[in-house]
Amino acid sequence: MSQFDPIELELFKNLFTSITEEMAAVLQRTALSPNIKERRDFSCALFTRLGETFAQGSHIPVHLGAMPLSVQSALQAVEFEPGDVVILNDPYKGGTHLPDITCIQPYFVGENLCFLVANRAHHSDVGGITPGSMPLATEIFQEGVIIPPLKLYRRGRLNEEVLSLFLANVRTPEERRGDIMAQVAANSRGARRLGEMLARYGLEKLTLYADQIQVYTEKILRATIKAIPDGLYEFEDYLDDDGVSPKPVKVRVALTVRGEEAWVDFSGSSEQVAGSINANFAVTYSAILYVFRSLVEEDIPFNTGLMKPIKIIAPEGSVVNATFPSALAGGNVETSQRIVDVLLGALAQALPDRIPAASQGTMNNVAFGGFNPSTRANFAYYETIGGGLGASPGLPGLSGVHCHMTNSLNTPIEALENYLPVKIKQYALRKNSGGYGRRRGGDGLVREYQFQVPVNLTIISDRRKGRPYGLAGGLPGKAGVNLLIRKGRRKNLGSKVNLKLEAGDVLRIETPGGGGYGRPEE
Amino acid sequence: MAHSQKTDLRIGVDSGGTFTDFVIHSGGQLTVKKVPSTPADPSIAILQGLVDLLPASQALIIHGTTVGTNALLEKKGGRIAFLTTAGFEDIIFIGRQTRKHLYSLKGEERSYIISPRLCFGLEERILAGGRVEKPLRKNDLDRIINILKKEKVEAVAVCLLHSYANPVHEEVVAEKLGQAGFKVSSSSSLLPEYREYERASTTVINAYLLPVMDRYLGELQGKLEGAQLKVMQSNEGYISAEKARQEPIKTILSGPTGGVVGALHLARAAGFRQVISFDMGGTSTDVSLIDGRIKRSTENLVGDFPVRLPMVDVHSVGAGGGSVIYVDKGGLLRVGPQSVGANPGPACYGLGEIPAVTDANLCLGRLDPEYFLGGRMKIYPERSHRALETVARKIGRSLVETALGVVAIANASMEKAIRVISVERGYDPRQFSLVSFGGAGGLHAVEMAEHLMIPRVIIPRFAGVLSALGLLLADSVKDYSRSFIRLAQKTDPEELERVFGQMTEQALADMAEDGFSPEKVLVERQLDLRYLGQSHELTVPYRPGHFHNFSYLQEFHRQHRRLFSYYHQHRPVEIVNLRVRAVARAQKIKLRSYERCPEVPAAARIKKQWLYYGKEKYRVEVLDRSQLLAGNRLPGPVLVVDAESTTFVPPGYVATTDSFLNLIIEKAGRT
Repeated sequence: MSQFDPIELELFKNLFTSITEEMAAVLQRTALSPNIKERRDFSCALFTRLGETFAQGSHIPVHLGAMPLSVQSALQAVEFEPGDVVILNDPYKGGTHLPDITCIQPYFVGENLCFLVANRAHHSDVGGITPGSMPLATEIFQEGVIIPPLKLYRRGRLNEEVLSLFLANVRTPEERRGDIMAQVAANSRGARRLGEMLARYGLEKLTLYADQIQVYTEKILRATIKAIPDGLYEFEDYLDDDGVSPKPVKVRVALTVRGEEAWVDFSGSSEQVAGSINANFAVTYSAILYVFRSLVEEDIPFNTGLMKPIKIIAPEGSVVNATFPSALAGGNVETSQRIVDVLLGALAQALPDRIPAASQGTMNNVAFGGFNPSTRANFAYYETIGGGLGASPGLPGLSGVHCHMTNSLNTPIEALENYLPVKIKQYALRKNSGGYGRRRGGDGLVREYQFQVPVNLTIISDRRKGRPYGLAGGLPGKAGVNLLIRKGRRKNLGSKVNLKLEAGDVLRIETPGGGGYGRPEE
Repeated sequence: MAHSQKTDLRIGVDSGGTFTDFVIHSGGQLTVKKVPSTPADPSIAILQGLVDLLPASQALIIHGTTVGTNALLEKKGGRIAFLTTAGFEDIIFIGRQTRKHLYSLKGEERSYIISPRLCFGLEERILAGGRVEKPLRKNDLDRIINILKKEKVEAVAVCLLHSYANPVHEEVVAEKLGQAGFKVSSSSSLLPEYREYERASTTVINAYLLPVMDRYLGELQGKLEGAQLKVMQSNEGYISAEKARQEPIKTILSGPTGGVVGALHLARAAGFRQVISFDMGGTSTDVSLIDGRIKRSTENLVGDFPVRLPMVDVHSVGAGGGSVIYVDKGGLLRVGPQSVGANPGPACYGLGEIPAVTDANLCLGRLDPEYFLGGRMKIYPERSHRALETVARKIGRSLVETALGVVAIANASMEKAIRVISVERGYDPRQFSLVSFGGAGGLHAVEMAEHLMIPRVIIPRFAGVLSALGLLLADSVKDYSRSFIRLAQKTDPEELERVFGQMTEQALADMAEDGFSPEKVLVERQLDLRYLGQSHELTVPYRPGHFHNFSYLQEFHRQHRRLFSYYHQHRPVEIVNLRVRAVARAQKIKLRSYERCPEVPAAARIKKQWLYYGKEKYRVEVLDRSQLLAGNRLPGPVLVVDAESTTFVPPGYVATTDSFLNLIIEKAGRT
């Protein structure tokens, strides 16, 4: 019935994931960026020599599709040698956005490249015009240092020149060095475990199962797609604006399902925009894979097999496939969420009993930095805030959690206040912000910051004008609100803003609620 | 109160499982007893077991209980309220703002042990350094107390922001609530460490268990006619029943902890200090690493909620004798993590049709149908065959190939659990012995050890009552911690000494209250350290007066390197928490040692049966463990059966019975 050994493949599946989990444990425990250690904004994966993922752990969904693209671009750009470590963050070469730095290590048997191990982690700052490197930019050069695939280690020796050029361009160089070393340590742990497996099972078997595991995943996804009724399903929705002009930005999808395959066509979406919410192809790809992976109910391993039954049409130069040198920082965090929303909206027509209403549809990115007098040093901080999940046909939406493309943890208030000149005045659920329905949408969150020193603040958020849609008669969730409270006076900041705040200013963020499902009180 | 060290009669009572186990030490003799458990009121079985030993006012009873765990998992705790700083009333519900399943369109059901209506904010604020920014308003509190009375609240959890740095407001609130007649769980006395959600969660669970455990232990104490009752904590030591009634959360994993303590002591007596304990039961497997001493962790989840108190570091995986065997949509053979449970149980029990790991072992001839659970339970091998045959057909393999695959897959997931606690934490399994207990462990232990290159498996005598034995052998242990956030290089040694001094005084005073004079108490000091900017701490020992030579810093670098393969010699190190651990050693119990006898276990032979291993079929001897004598040598393949479990010694291995009647299994040619 099946072309692979159903017993051994199960064994190898377990072994592969245990390697990526062990890499993740090393990275999380030794990194310095709050994004990595507290919020787990990173992914670890194993690749064939062609750059196909055969195991990926601790996934941040937005890294899913992008990881193999960056390994493939590294394979094209450099000649790997034993002992090398390559780093990159260039979103036009498989990266997601500049703060996500990917670190790749080849695994050689003799002189032959057999596998690669890699991890990608969100750094707190990679330079650019504002602290935290999530600016409201109009071209990528303003967003931070661009690192094309470069050898950080050459034949086992650290290339200090590459590292010092990078560190000279960021606000918190010591922290960056620590994080990069943590990434290198995670990879070398992965490579060591791969070596142990190789000693135990031999190269031939390992290579065979690295391929077979992808066939297995592909097979399950094909069965899942087959269960969707054939047809053409269309949906569109908007981002509030790009932070430069007030014009809404359209994301449109036409999904065709035929047999075991799906075509996802974004023709008709807005042209790429001046502001930073452009998505590169890698991000769009990741969002699509996230949706299809979520349709699968079995717990399947994540690998390149997921990509095979899906064909993507993303017009070059559009907001879902922006070209160099468009600014991208927000595409990864905001546009990716809207891509998920439109795909789910289309699928809801095909599978009305399975698809939930829209979730908050934003990550509510808040970045600020300045000078901390008590440590006499600059600081840069970045966090994202959860909101309401959309109600599903069977259950109400969860309140105050991250949705879809991210699942990163919050930073404890007591940790924030111990290390930064900021006080949190309120952190609470935003009551009654979820959309009404037979099932209620989840509530958003309220988070209120009071700054004790002047800071440079950037907010990239969305669903401040548009609202997360309800389904089957359920009502939409409430839109979010970003407020500046200065000496008692309130000012609405809109979806995306960069401004200088004074000591004593209060920032109040209210995040969107999720959409409701089904007509209320039927 | 009678001095515990003078008592002659000492009893370990473990009431977690199907049976309530007793190990009794009296007049230098150990005796073992099992009584069917009475889950609705565990004390009934306990009193039954003790009936011929009471009244014994000199008895010291150390109890391992799952009453707290069950109350939490079944949501049957007390009616509780939560008081925190105004503006943060929802922190229990927000948690870490994550969802449990990354890829799920179904949504997620959550249930909490506290109602949002009973969460209250107090107008007050303390800042990170401990400075009071906004004083507490007392009439605010009176208003809330009135509501709590109307709502018939039993216990109240209090967790105010930054109370670890300055407990002044919490102390006032706790006192007022106490005066008003509520049981109180206060975060600054239970867990004075920073990170508000984890501290609040720990405090809330404690409050939830207060009424239940107070009732249970109070009643049990009353029925014990003057015997001293102690309760096992999750941190490897026991506390008095009085203390357990105030801080019940400390006993939440009291059951599994007994097993690890038992494994430590039995292995140590047999001459092995580096041990991995392996407890494979029906639904799950618990593993724990003992590197001369038991490893503990503060990063614990109980159910879905964090409990940040030190607990024995037990790692669990959903693989056991009852793990379900099935073929998934992609055509792979899968084992677990779902379990058939005790009812219907594996197909061979005769109630269900779903094959489980036990069925695979039966099909391989590794269980003797006539001696299952020592012959107490009838099982049906033909039902195992039928159930597994369905699976074998689906994957196009023979019955035996499929059964061997099932064992290999179950072993792989348990192997992964052992890797997490050993290799991932920088320990080399080749230097450890595997101590196997629990109903299903003996069938899998040797093959698993082989894959991990663990050189030796020990199946202890008393394997069936190891948890109760561990209770009997446990020390009295108390843990204290306090957040103390400073750069190590900039810490005033006198301040550090002063805080440690206060904590030590508290520890000695609490021990004195339990009847241990200071000279009987060993006090250890520890520091939680990390590189500035990290958020994960390592705990290293700190010797009084050793501040200036920075030896603790060297130890930190060394540990960091072992765990993560690198360290930063020059990066500033931050102190996060101070820890004090007070231990009063238990009275030593000498295990009986037996004379060595001839190597051939003639008296133990029961029968012969066919068994499958690798690609071969073997005719093997089935031996009765209770008839084995010290010095017996059992070359594999062979099966050893006892009242609780079966041990499989594969070809190429030899089991020997040591002088304490433990089975020691090693590769042939090694001994």
